[in-house]
Order: sequence, then structure tokens, then C-alpha cells
Amino acid sequence: MSDIVIDIADVRKKYRGGVEALRGVSLQVPRGGIFGLLGPNGAGKSTLVKILTSIVRPTRCSGIMLGAPIGDKSTLARIGYLPEHARFPEYLKGGEVIRYVAGLTGISRAEAGQKAGQLLEMVGMQDWGKHKMATYSKGMKQRIGLAQALVNDPEIVFLDEPTDGVDPKGRLEMRNLLQRMRDDGRTVFINSHLLGELEMICDSVAIMDKGEIVQQGTIAELTEKSRRYELKTRGTISEELKHKLIAAGAEIGADMMSMVGSDPAPIQPMLDALRAEKITIVELREVRQSLEELFMESVGATGVGGTQKRSTPPQLPGKELVK
Amino acid sequence: MGLLPPIGGEEVVLDRAVSYGVDRVMYASVGFTPQGVSVLFGAYELKNDLIVEGSMFADYFYMMIFTDYLVPWWLGFFALVLALISVCPIFPDFLKTGSIDVAISKPMSRVTLFLVKYLGSLLFVAIQVLVFCVIVFIAHGVRLDAWNLEIFWAVLLLTFVFSLIYCVAVLTAVLTRSTLFSLLVALLVWGVTLSIQWSESIMYKATYVMPASGMSINMKTGATNKAGEELEANAEMERFYGIVRAVGMPLPKTRDATYLLRKKVTVRGNNMTMSSAFLEDEASASELLEAKAMEDYDNRHSVAYVVGSSLAFEVFILGIACFIFVRKDF
Repeated sequence: MSDIVIDIADVRKKYRGGVEALRGVSLQVPRGGIFGLLGPNGAGKSTLVKILTSIVRPTRCSGIMLGAPIGDKSTLARIGYLPEHARFPEYLKGGEVIRYVAGLTGISRAEAGQKAGQLLEMVGMQDWGKHKMATYSKGMKQRIGLAQALVNDPEIVFLDEPTDGVDPKGRLEMRNLLQRMRDDGRTVFINSHLLGELEMICDSVAIMDKGEIVQQGTIAELTEKSRRYELKTRGTISEELKHKLIAAGAEIGADMMSMVGSDPAPIQPMLDALRAEKITIVELREVRQSLEELFMESVGATGVGGTQKRSTPPQLPGKELVK
Repeated sequence: MGLLPPIGGEEVVLDRAVSYGVDRVMYASVGFTPQGVSVLFGAYELKNDLIVEGSMFADYFYMMIFTDYLVPWWLGFFALVLALISVCPIFPDFLKTGSIDVAISKPMSRVTLFLVKYLGSLLFVAIQVLVFCVIVFIAHGVRLDAWNLEIFWAVLLLTFVFSLIYCVAVLTAVLTRSTLFSLLVALLVWGVTLSIQWSESIMYKATYVMPASGMSINMKTGATNKAGEELEANAEMERFYGIVRAVGMPLPKTRDATYLLRKKVTVRGNNMTMSSAFLEDEASASELLEAKAMEDYDNRHSVAYVVGSSLAFEVFILGIACFIFVRKDF
């Protein structure tokens, strides 16, 4: 079994009217993790997912998904999909929506009924399965949407903006469900522009802009170049030591110095030298770019009227060395 | 619940109940006595020498209410408009972003999906007509002791007529995803085809039925003259009738298809178009001439012509709709 579930190259989509939504997208999605596809509105994320799920016909596409060419009907039985702004008939009950989708995937009525019960329980809607969709909140509808996406026990689950419009509690529950899917061995493919959400759960990401993939890899790989150690000190550092530290690659500010790199070894002599001069080390931390910064850097955007750039990237959770 | 999603909610059931409830009760309330016809379960009695309990005319009259009034006007017009309003949102709602995506991302082919949705909509209408026909069947059986299964031809014919209009709504929905627009276009096409069918019908009567009945009309004064014998059809009128018929040929024959019921339903061995068979023995020669002319009028289109040309229209429209549905990026 291949470790890559989606491997596409040079995917293009030009709509009638000349709009070029995808300009040669190449992408590899590893098996069994949460993959995030990031990009600003109009970047082509949804078009790409729709091509992978056979909803949109590509202008050009080569590649495979689950070992079969893109567009292969039989592959669709092995994937699940929750579209952006999913709409299910309001007069249907939650359980009926799941059974309806089960029917579309060719699951027998008996099995569909059984699955519906299990999935309602999984998404925490077991008490609401017999209520109509019209009575549900946005978060509840999304949970039913997620349940229907899992009805055929898919190997890949495509989720297009799954937390859009969902309140913070609902988002937390959604994240837990996604992690559970990953733990079950599924590949979760999320489209989103909510970077904070993705940063918390994604194993790997691709950043899309103007119909092209501009960055792709694990978050650790993509932020590798921005990794550095920051050191906050108290006390006056002698000019001689300053020169030595600068020569060793450190950048020195008023009461802060930083060293680019992810290896902690070069920091050690620096710490020894500072201690030897009785300089108090207030804080030492390993920092890297946030996903938001990486994204902004990749798409070259600062927003309308925005010039703000973070001088201090947020620290990695649990990565503090000294405080 | 399988592939077919439920279509519509309580409001649809309610408007069906109202539309069909009244006519069924009215129809079932008609009865026959030795003196004539009773209505509203005997509340009123209309005296008649011919239409009395046990007579052939009572059978004919009761069936004629069904084939000539209830089916073409109530069911074939008013109820079909209501059905169209109820069923029209099915495709536009299905095609909306967020709804269509789930369905077409499944392994089922788009053609199957399209046809299941289309036939599901027709099934909804067929069930409503079936319920109506069951009531009529029981009313006939109880009132006249005539358990006529041919009544159920109405289910097939009315569903077919509905499908001829609905296919236009489906094509418009696939193109625009708008319920209102698809309803309006369907009604417009229906209106145009009805106008042409009515024109053809009037033209046929003026061109052939009137001369065959021995009647002539003075086009300047409008006065009619009864010759008492069959006359020659006017060549100019025949030419004009031919043009109207040719214009209507590729269009769906909703009205004619509804009236096919008169050919399918029989009373005492004669179908409802055989007017002369229901005349009294002592009918005059002129009455026989008129009845024969009306028989020719009722049978001027063959079943193959009505069904074939209508079906060709439906297949063509539905084929385009299905092709667009299959090729479209949603």
C-alpha cells in the first residue's frame, strides 16, 4: 500500500469566460494524517477538491488518488466529502440524511441504518437523530455533515471549510473528531483559511495562491528556516563579548539576542560566556514562524492597508528551555 | 430510505389534500335514482328521462364526468399546476451548491442520479393521481356496480402529461438553478402548446367536423346553415389547418394525451369517443351525422402520433437537460 494517497501533477482548470482557477497544481498527500490546504479566498482550493471528488472536470489533470486515475468512479466509493456550506434537506432528520447519503454510495438499507446509529453517536448527535435538520444549529448541521462524510468508511475524507461559521466550542469538538479520524487511520484533507485551526491539527500543509501551490510539506519542514533561539538577558554585556557573539552568528538587540537555527548546540557556549560575565538569563526559548506568518510570507500579502509584520514570532508550545 | 429523497414537506401534502379532497367527495356524491341524477349524496335531485338508475346513459354520463371534465380540467389542468408548483423546487434545490456536491461526489453515475431524481418527481405525481383514481374506481363500482379497471389509465396518462411539462422545468432548472424561472418557463411552454392545440382543435372542427355534420358557416355574417347532408371541406381551410397542425407537430400534445383516456375507457364495450354508440335508437339522421363527425374528430390523431411526437419532445428536452447535468461543473 502506497504511503501517498493523492499524487497529482499539472492540474489545470480554466472556466468558461477565461477564469483560470488552477494553473498547474502538483500535490502529494501522505496517507493517514491530517493534510491542510491553505490559501486566500479565490486561490483555487475548492476547485482542486472538487476536481478530486469529480464534481468539477479539470481542463488538464494527471495523477492518481488511492491508486486509480483522478475521476475514476470506483474510487469515489472510498472517499467522503463535506462541502463548504453543505445543505441537506431541512425536512429530513439527521439520521435520514446519513441514510440518504449511504444510499448514494450503494450501502444496503440495513447497513445504512446501523451506520447511521454509530455515526450519530460518534458525532455526539445520538439524541438528535430523530429531529429535523431545520431544528439544528449550524454546529449540529456540520456534525451531521461530518457523519454523512464517514458513512462509507472512507480512506480519505475531504472537508471544505468544516469549521466555517461554527462557534469556538463547536470548533474544539470538530478538532477532536478530526483527530479521532486520523487515529482511525483515515487521511483527512482539509480546506481552510482558518490558519490557527489548521496549525493545531495538521501534520502537513500546502499553501495555494492564485491557482498554484507555493509551499508544501510538514509544518516543521516549512518553518525550519525560520527556527531560532531567542535569549532575554539582564545586565550589561561587554563590547568584547558582543563582538564574539556577533562573530558566532548571534543578532544582538537591547536586552534580547537571537541565534538562527534549530540546533541547540551552538547556543551552549553562548550561555557559558554570558554566565561567565554574570549576565542574568531571563528567558531562553526556541521560536519559529507561525502558520499565519508562513502563509502571509508565501502569498505575499499584508492585507488591505496593512504593513504590520510580527517582529517576534510566537513561541512553540512546550519548547521553552529556560524561563 | 434508499436513493429517493423525500420531496417536499407538510405544505405539499396539505395542498394535495385540498386539491384532491374536494373533487373526490363531489364525484362520489353523484348518484342515480329511477327519476334522474342525485348530487351531494341525495341532497338534490335533477330529474332526467334518460339518465336514470340502471340505464346505459347513467353509466356513460358518470364516466363522461370523469373522462371529459375531472381528468382534463380538474386533474389535467388545476391539479397539474399545483403538482408543478410542488415538484418544481426539487431540481433547483438539488442543484444548489452544497447540496449537489454531496450527491455527485458519490460513485453513482450522474445519468442515474438525474433519472432517479426525475422519475422520483413523477412518482410523486403518479401516487397522487392513483389515490384519486382509486376513489373514482370505488365510486363507480359502488354506484353502478361497474368495476372498471380502465379508469387507472388516467394514472399513466396524467403522469405522462405532467412529465411533458416537467421536463421543460427540469431543463430550465439545470440551466438556471432557479425554481421561479423554471416554473414560469414550464408554464409558458405549456401555455403555448395548449394554445396551438386549441387552435388545431378549433380549426379541425371548422374545416372538417362542420362540413361532415352538414353545417356551413357564412364567414361574413357568422350565420350557420344546416344542409342535412355531408358537405365538402373548404380547400383554403384545409391548407390553413395543415399549417397549424404542422406547427404543433413537434410540440408536446398535453391536451390530446389527456383526452386519450376517452379512447382507453369503455362503457358497455364502447369507448368514450364512440358517440354514435350512445345515441338513442330513434336518433335522427342529422344526429347520427353529427355523432359520426364527432367520432372522427375524437379519433383524428392516432395514439402513436400523440404519444410518439410528445415522447420525442420529452426525450429531446430531457436529453439536453441530462447532457448539461452530466457535463456541468458544480
